[in-house]
Amino acid sequence: MNYTVRDLGGVREIDLRGQLTFEANDDFRRIIEGMEKDKISDCVLNLGSLDFIDSAGLGLLVLANNTANRSRVRLKLKQPKGQVREMIEISEFHTIIPCEF
Amino acid sequence: MDRQAPAQPAAPSPAPSPAAARSVGGQRVLVGQPRAGIATALRRGLAGIGVRYVDVALDVAGVLASAEAGLPDLVVIDRALLDHAPDLIASLRAADGARELPVLVLGRFGSAADRRAVMELGATDILARPISRAELAARLRVHLENRSLNRSLREVIRSLQTFHTGAVQRMQLARDMQLALLPDVDACQDIERRYAVRLDSHFESSSELGGDIWGARVLDESRFAVFLCDFTGHGVAAALNTFRLHALLAKIDLPGDDPAETLGAINRLLVGLLPETQFAAMLYAVVDTVEDRLTYATAGAPKPIIGIPGHNLLVGESVGLPLGVSLKASYRNRVIDFPPGAFLFLFSDALFESRDWEGRPFGYEGVLDLVRWSHRDLDGQGEGSLAKLLDRYFDVMPRPLADDLTALWLTRRGR
Repeated sequence: MNYTVRDLGGVREIDLRGQLTFEANDDFRRIIEGMEKDKISDCVLNLGSLDFIDSAGLGLLVLANNTANRSRVRLKLKQPKGQVREMIEISEFHTIIPCEF
Repeated sequence: MDRQAPAQPAAPSPAPSPAAARSVGGQRVLVGQPRAGIATALRRGLAGIGVRYVDVALDVAGVLASAEAGLPDLVVIDRALLDHAPDLIASLRAADGARELPVLVLGRFGSAADRRAVMELGATDILARPISRAELAARLRVHLENRSLNRSLREVIRSLQTFHTGAVQRMQLARDMQLALLPDVDACQDIERRYAVRLDSHFESSSELGGDIWGARVLDESRFAVFLCDFTGHGVAAALNTFRLHALLAKIDLPGDDPAETLGAINRLLVGLLPETQFAAMLYAVVDTVEDRLTYATAGAPKPIIGIPGHNLLVGESVGLPLGVSLKASYRNRVIDFPPGAFLFLFSDALFESRDWEGRPFGYEGVLDLVRWSHRDLDGQGEGSLAKLLDRYFDVMPRPLADDLTALWLTRRGR
């Protein structure tokens, strides 16, 4: 997985690219740490360029969501496509993390 | 033979000290040398590099007797001994633990062929006279240090091997315990007889232990349930969760005939029990053989594939939060006609997420094609469908898969 971070005011937008799997664990946990430390109000995970997510990847989204709730950051998922969208729908993740399709 | 070991007891082969701690000085050298002058020079050379234990033997019999009394760390023999007994080196190495005993041969060598002949008799190295005291000392030291290093390495390897053997045995035991969580042949045959079905299953972990579990439960005369559950990840941690689930299912009174309520009840038990990033995808289905009906609910599980005679393959809906994520989760029942001759194919996501030799995922469409192909010329009894399907699958998919694979193929026998 590769990612790009953009901060605008208190809003952090992160573009995720490639595959969100167990291999992305370390990188993604850094994103989560940043969300906790950097005093942001909103975090948008842009999934438009993510091609694949597995259950370990979904687990990382749960972790991000729990951390966001604890640090009072509003987390949002945006534009999942293809397999990623299907996984989010099957797992109903949009019911626990706001998701803009 | 005289033994130059000041306060050393003459007992044969003392228990070896840890090899790593055995420096050059603590090693035992056996010298086979008929000429007293050369023996003395060697002894001095060895003493000079700190070797405290040197045995000197004058002839072949003496060398063998000394080696038998206590295995040396290094042997230095005169080439004259090899003239009398060309198999001397082989005999020395035939003893227990002496397979890699270094044997140096001291002597005058007229030609390369001469040296080669000695090397072919098994010599580790040649000490060609004339040789200066300094060179002799340096070369003896190299061999003694090598010996010491080799011993340390062997010790490390042996200790790793012991650890590995133990770990493999413990894993095997754990694996047997995990397999025992699944319905055995008797339990499957019981279900098959009671409800006139055929139930084929496949369970394959990507490592010794896996995060999948499946089961089948008798409900009443006309109904039974099957389920397949896949915990996040694989390996030991995921396997521990399968034991959790198995214990919950066995001990707790679940509304087993209502899939949605069953998943809801398991979810409430797993939330807070599972670590934050772990959860389970599960499908729970109840087959009613009187109403010819299949009722199922899913929690983040792959869409099931259903075949009904005379119809196209049906891909069952699947929507639901995985188990263990949120107390707010609720699950829905879906009802499908399931007459005799119909089949239900359940599988963990490894089946379509695993990647082929080129790194491409097999894909859900690929699974559908596989089911169509394997079911094309069957008699409706589901005979061998799963085995045939998986044979074809593994023709193109490399093993081991990156994730655990469980597959269930349930067929209602024709009336």
